Amino acid sequence: MPKLTLNGKEIEVPAGSTIIEAYKQLDEPIAHYCWHPGLSIAGVCRLCVVEIEGNPRLQIACNTQIQEGMVVNNNSEKVKTAVKWGLDFHLINHPLDCPICDQAGECELQNQYMEFGKYDPEMAEPKVKKRKVVDLGERVVLDTERCILCSRCVRFTNEVSKTNELGIFNRGDRSEVGTFEDKPLNNKYSVNTVDICPVGALTSKDFRFKQRVWYLKNKPSICTGCSTGCNVNVYYNEEGVFRVKPHYNKEVNGYWMCDEGRDIYKHINRKSRMLRGRYKQNGVWCTTQALEVAKKAGQKLSSFKGEEIAVLVTGQYTNEELNSLVDYSVNKLGSKSVFHWKNNENNWQDFDGHLIRGDKNPNTKGLQGVLQKYAVGGEWKELENQLSKFKAVVVAGPENQSVYFDIKEKIESLKSLECVVWFTAGENSNFEKLSDNSYLIPQKTSVEKNGHFTNHQGLTQKVEEVTTILPEALNLEETVSLMLGNSLDLSIRDKQEMGVLKTNYFSQERGSL
Amino acid sequence: MSIVKKPGAIANWYLPGILIGMIFTLKKMIYNLFHKDKMPTLNYPEEKYEYSPRFKGQHVLTVKKDGSIRCTACMLCATNCPAQCIKIVASEHEDPTVEKYPINYEIDVLRCVYCGFCEEACPVDAIRMGPEWQKPGANGFNFTYDIQELAYRPQLKGGIESRLDEKERHDFGI
Ligand code: SF4
Ligand code: SF4
Ligand code: SF4
Ligand code: SF4
Ligand code: FES
Repeated sequence: MPKLTLNGKEIEVPAGSTIIEAYKQLDEPIAHYCWHPGLSIAGVCRLCVVEIEGNPRLQIACNTQIQEGMVVNNNSEKVKTAVKWGLDFHLINHPLDCPICDQAGECELQNQYMEFGKYDPEMAEPKVKKRKVVDLGERVVLDTERCILCSRCVRFTNEVSKTNELGIFNRGDRSEVGTFEDKPLNNKYSVNTVDICPVGALTSKDFRFKQRVWYLKNKPSICTGCSTGCNVNVYYNEEGVFRVKPHYNKEVNGYWMCDEGRDIYKHINRKSRMLRGRYKQNGVWCTTQALEVAKKAGQKLSSFKGEEIAVLVTGQYTNEELNSLVDYSVNKLGSKSVFHWKNNENNWQDFDGHLIRGDKNPNTKGLQGVLQKYAVGGEWKELENQLSKFKAVVVAGPENQSVYFDIKEKIESLKSLECVVWFTAGENSNFEKLSDNSYLIPQKTSVEKNGHFTNHQGLTQKVEEVTTILPEALNLEETVSLMLGNSLDLSIRDKQEMGVLKTNYFSQERGSL
Repeated sequence: MSIVKKPGAIANWYLPGILIGMIFTLKKMIYNLFHKDKMPTLNYPEEKYEYSPRFKGQHVLTVKKDGSIRCTACMLCATNCPAQCIKIVASEHEDPTVEKYPINYEIDVLRCVYCGFCEEACPVDAIRMGPEWQKPGANGFNFTYDIQELAYRPQLKGGIESRLDEKERHDFGI
C-alpha cells in the first residue's frame, strides 16, 4: 500500500485510490461538489484542488491517483485562493435564494462560502436568469438557476438507477440541467438525486417548506419499507418525523434508498397513530390507557383454554418482541397455533435488481427464525379453515398498514370470534367493526424502540430509539409482560422521557446556527 | 416595619403639615394653569406620548406593491427570536416567482421581549417594529397576532410597503 503525506500527516491508502479518498480516509476537510463516493468521477467543479509538491500547478484531488511518497496539502494560501475564486465562478449566476431555498442550512455552497469565500463578487454583469420551480414528476422539483452543474444527478440516473432521464442541455452560462422536454423523473430512486445535489437545485416535493433543516435532528435507524432493511437517517423534531434519508452501509444499501421507503415516516407520525388504547364491552368502545387495556386483555385471555387461542403475527416487529410474543403464546397461553400473516405472498420474491424487494416487511427472516425456534407457524389459510375451532385471537398487526391491503378483510373475518386482541401502531377505521371483547393496544413504531431486524439476507441489524412520538404506546415485550399481570417498570420509561423533556435541545439550540 | 413616633404633643398636631402641603399643591396648580406647555405630565389616555420612529414597538409585517405579504417564510426571524414566540407555517405559492410564502404567521406578543432581533434577522425587510406601543385587551383577549393583525390592522391603513421589491431586484439582474 502506497504511503503519502497529506497536510503534514502520513497515511497509507490502498493502491489505485485517489487523493480525495485519502483525504476522506484521514477525515481531513476538503472542498468538493462533483465527487461522490457512490458515483464515477467527473472532475467538473474544480473545487477539490490540492497542491502537490514538485508539481507547479494545482491538481484536482478527485481525479489524481496517489503515488508513493506524494506530499500533498490543501491548506496553503495558493489552494485557498484557488477555491475562493473557483467558488466565485460557481456563484456568478447563482440566485439570492437562500431564504426560500430548502437546502439552506445544509447547502455546500453556503458551507464553502463561509469556509473559503467571503469575498465581494467582482462580476458586474446582470445574472443569467433560468427556469425556476420546474415540476419533475411525482417527487422532485427542479430549480435550474440554483444548479452548479456538478452533474452528480446526471451520473446518478446513468449509473445507479440506469434510467438516464437527466442531462445537461445548452452550452456556456446557459447550460441547464433537466429532463428531455421536461419529462417526469419518475424512477423508483428519484429522491436520491435530491440527497446528492450539493445545492438546492433539486428539492423533494414531500419535504419542501415543511421545516427548516436546522430545526431537525437526525439519528440512524433501519427502513421498515421492505425486507432489504436499508440503513437510514431519520430526521425529526419535537413535532414528529419529517424525512428519511439513506445512511451508508456497504453491505445493505450502499449510499442509496428507494423512494417508497422515504414515506415510512408517514405512518410513524401522530396523525396516523392510535393515540389511546380501546376495548369494547357490551357494545360500547371504552378508551383508556394502553397499559390498562393490555392488562384487561391478559385477564380475558387467561379465561380461555390454550387450544381455543390463535396468534397471528406479522414480520413488522423486532426479533426480541416476536420472541416474547411467541414465547407467551407457547409457554404461557399454551397455544401452538401461531400463524404468519403474509401480506403479499404472490410477489414475495420480487426484486428489482437494486434494492426494492416484494416482501414489504422488515423482519420476515427474523420471524421465521422465531417460529422455527418454537416449532410453530402456519399460514393464514390454515387459520381461516379452522377458524370456528378458535374463540380468541391475538394479532400482532402491521405497523405499516399501507402495504397490508387485506387488513380490512382480515378484520372482518376475525370479528366472528369471541375475543380479539390486536396490537397496532396505526389507527384504522375498520377496527370499529370488531365485536365485543376486542382489545386494541397502541404499539410503538420502529423509531421508538430498541431491537433487531433480520433482513432478507439474514443480516441482523440493530434499531435504536430515535425519538418518542407517542409516550403512551407500548412495545410488544412490555405488552406481553402486562398481559401476564406484571406491572410495567415505568420508572425507567419515566426517566427516559423526563430526560427527553429536560434536554429539549430543539429550543436550547435555536438561534445558535 | 414599625412606625417611628416622635415624642411630645406637638408631633400629634398634624394640621400645619397638611396646610403646608395644600399650599404647595395650590401653588403648583395655579402655575400649571398658566403654563400648560411646561407641564411634565400627560393627560393619558387623551394625550399620548409620541416615541421616536426608531422605537421598537408593535411588529408590522410589510407588504409588496400589490398589497400581498412580503414575508418569504424563511423562518430566520423565528430562528433568531430568543423568546421563541414566532410561529410560521410555510407553503408553496402558486406564482413560481414567489415560490414560498407564509400561510400562517403568528407572534405571541405576551412572550415577546421586544428585542428587535426578528427585524434584524429578516433579509427582505418583511418585519419591522413600529412606533405603536399600546394595545389593551380584557381578560381572554387573544394576544397571538396573526397575519391579519400584523400586516393589515386598521392603524396601518392598508399596509406598510417593504423597501425591497422582488421585481425591481429581478429587473436589475440580481
Ligand atoms: S443552493 Fe445554497 S446558496 Fe443557493 S440559494 Fe439554496 S441555500 Fe442558498
Ligand atoms: S441539479 Fe444538483 S446534482 Fe444536478 S447538476 Fe445541478 S447541482 Fe449538480
Ligand atoms: S422582538 Fe424579539 S422576542 Fe419579539 S418577536 Fe422579535 S425576536 Fe422575538
Ligand atoms: S419576516 Fe422576514 S425573517 Fe421572518 S420569515 Fe418572513 S422573510 Fe423570513
Ligand atoms: S470534486 Fe474534484 S473537481 Fe469536483
